[in-house]
Amino acid sequence: MSIIPSTQEAPGLRVSKPLVATQVSQPTTKQPYKVALVEDQPKVRESWTRLISSLPDFSCVCSCATGEEAIRAIPHEKPDVILMDIFLPRMSGIECTTRLKEALPETQIVILTAMDDQELVFMALEAGADGYLLKRTKPSELRSALLDVLRGGAPMSSQIARRVIESFRRKTKIRDEATRLSVREEQILQLLSQGYSNKAIAHKLDISIDTVCSHLKHVYSKMHVSSRTEAVVRYMSSKPSSQASGS
Amino acid sequence: MVAVYAWQLASVRAQETQTNELLDMEIAAAAQGPGPDSTNGLGSWIWDAHTFDRQSCLLWRSFEVPTTTTVTHAQIRMTADNEYFLSLDGRELGRGVEWHELFDYNVTYLLSPGKHVIAVSAYNASDSAGMIFGLQIDLADGQTMEIKSDQNWRIVPSSEEGWKTKTKAPDTWPTATIVAPLGGSPWWTRPSRVNTMETLLPVKLRLWQTGWFQISSLSLCAATIFLSLRLIGKLAIHRRERWLLQRERARIARDIHDDLGSRMTQLVLHGEVAQSELASDCSTRLQIERICQEAREVLCTMDEILWELNPKRDTFRDFASYVCGYAQGFLKSTQIQCLFDVAPETSSIVLELPFRRALLMAVKETLNNAVKHSEATELILRIAHPGQKLVVTVCDNGKGFDRTRLKPGRNGLSNIVQRLEEVGGVCEVTSHPGQGCRTELSVSLDHRLRWNTWGWVLDKSQHSDQANKANPLEANYS
Repeated sequence: MSIIPSTQEAPGLRVSKPLVATQVSQPTTKQPYKVALVEDQPKVRESWTRLISSLPDFSCVCSCATGEEAIRAIPHEKPDVILMDIFLPRMSGIECTTRLKEALPETQIVILTAMDDQELVFMALEAGADGYLLKRTKPSELRSALLDVLRGGAPMSSQIARRVIESFRRKTKIRDEATRLSVREEQILQLLSQGYSNKAIAHKLDISIDTVCSHLKHVYSKMHVSSRTEAVVRYMSSKPSSQASGS
Repeated sequence: MVAVYAWQLASVRAQETQTNELLDMEIAAAAQGPGPDSTNGLGSWIWDAHTFDRQSCLLWRSFEVPTTTTVTHAQIRMTADNEYFLSLDGRELGRGVEWHELFDYNVTYLLSPGKHVIAVSAYNASDSAGMIFGLQIDLADGQTMEIKSDQNWRIVPSSEEGWKTKTKAPDTWPTATIVAPLGGSPWWTRPSRVNTMETLLPVKLRLWQTGWFQISSLSLCAATIFLSLRLIGKLAIHRRERWLLQRERARIARDIHDDLGSRMTQLVLHGEVAQSELASDCSTRLQIERICQEAREVLCTMDEILWELNPKRDTFRDFASYVCGYAQGFLKSTQIQCLFDVAPETSSIVLELPFRRALLMAVKETLNNAVKHSEATELILRIAHPGQKLVVTVCDNGKGFDRTRLKPGRNGLSNIVQRLEEVGGVCEVTSHPGQGCRTELSVSLDHRLRWNTWGWVLDKSQHSDQANKANPLEANYS
């Protein structure tokens, strides 16, 4: 996977054409990546299904209209990527993401939003999403963004990086060693929040871009773990009676 | 012999005692003033119809000084067996516990023309009981009024309240009973002594005891309470209006998002699907590509409007996040590298829609200038909030310019200044040729708050004007 250096741009940003070209030729020999889609509007769902299938080396194996349906159907398919609409009737995309991430920890989940709202994106990332895409993203950019996520190097925008630092600082009390940011990770997030690209960060810290990406991957997984721990803590503290009877 | 001496001595002693008594009477007569007799003006001994031990008897009498004249001299002379408390018009004048003696009160300065009430609360310890009283009033027209203890006095039931100031006696109050005339048994014919009490002067009222002062302070209090209530009411209305406005803004944002947003997104997707199913050399494909691009730009604009409308996105963090995102997107296709320096969020300042909008517009204009004119390679966007201010600073490392040689009106600067002035902000540009350019945009949030508070007091329509100003529809479409 790491033969090709990862692109440092965020999804929906500029695409470096040569990278895409090499990628296109590489996985033709193997099975296409399996994609599942959760989207409530039928027309949009149909368009996305056709778009994904039209991309080389991607096939849409499952498309669901609701979060409930997704939780029933998607785990059997074991897709590589799940595209999740953030606004769903009843169970929200964020909640559905948390549940699916528990059932399929290896599967990458990408949140789809119609509007560019960093707060919502941050919530989704905390809930277990591995990246996010605007619904209006061009097909070519969609492909490179999906490949980025599959490589585990989901790019992080400077705004999200700032938000992540803040949230880790704020919740420092309930964190153990495993879910605290390392010095290097915080350094990278700091530089990201100041507007530096992955490439510039790699140059500044004298490390490879891949190392930057893997640090970011760790940050993502720490975010998921800690948000789950936090949910447990919140649940326990909100039910003092059950806690008392349990101990 | 001894017996004769003893008799003589006894008779001398008797004579001495007699002389002493005479002397006392002379003193008493002298103290009494012009009248020849110390018992002058006194009435009879009066009391309740029944007399018993440890009895309290409340005696009441009212009289009127003619309004046509003034009092030149007035004196009360009285005593009671065994004790009394005397009050005039509710004011305590004095007390006496010795029935052998008389007590004189000079009340000249207390008797203004009009009605007055004498109240005597007497107490009998044992055996006989009585109260004797005399008030002599000399008037300016030469006449003399006399109020004596007689059957015109009333006995007040012990349960009565406020009887000391009552100017009219109800019929249920029985009249006083004369138990003995002046000099009658068992009391004296001549008092052993006459005590002249200090001349009584009207009570001097302090400033805060005067009626007009109390009335004016009361009305001041009432006015303050009224104003406070009014202010509270206005605050409540204002809050309600703000709440309604926020709800309406949220609704508009939701409508745009759910309806326009999703349909535009569908449009883009349809376009993309259509495009992917056409041959790459087809001219229609290029047309569709253009339509998709246009629709994407519309969606971008809608994103911005939604961000401005969304009442949940009015924190410092949201503002910083949005401005940074915008700058990054805007400068992406240029040679300028954009760096950020954003203050950590420490306070929960609220940025209302007009502020967000004005600042965002000013930042856009500044970035536009930098791209067009600066030839910079690096740009630092700094967002801070010192105190109750929000300061956005944009620094570039471009070629800079000489402000004095700028043609007025030919650049976006005046536009920025005007946008900020609308919300009470300031724009400060410092630049020198070859040294880049620094633009500081600052808005004071505190100032606006104060202005609003006084605005409510001064003008009742102010708050609704404010609300109108913040109306998203007007802000967006006017």
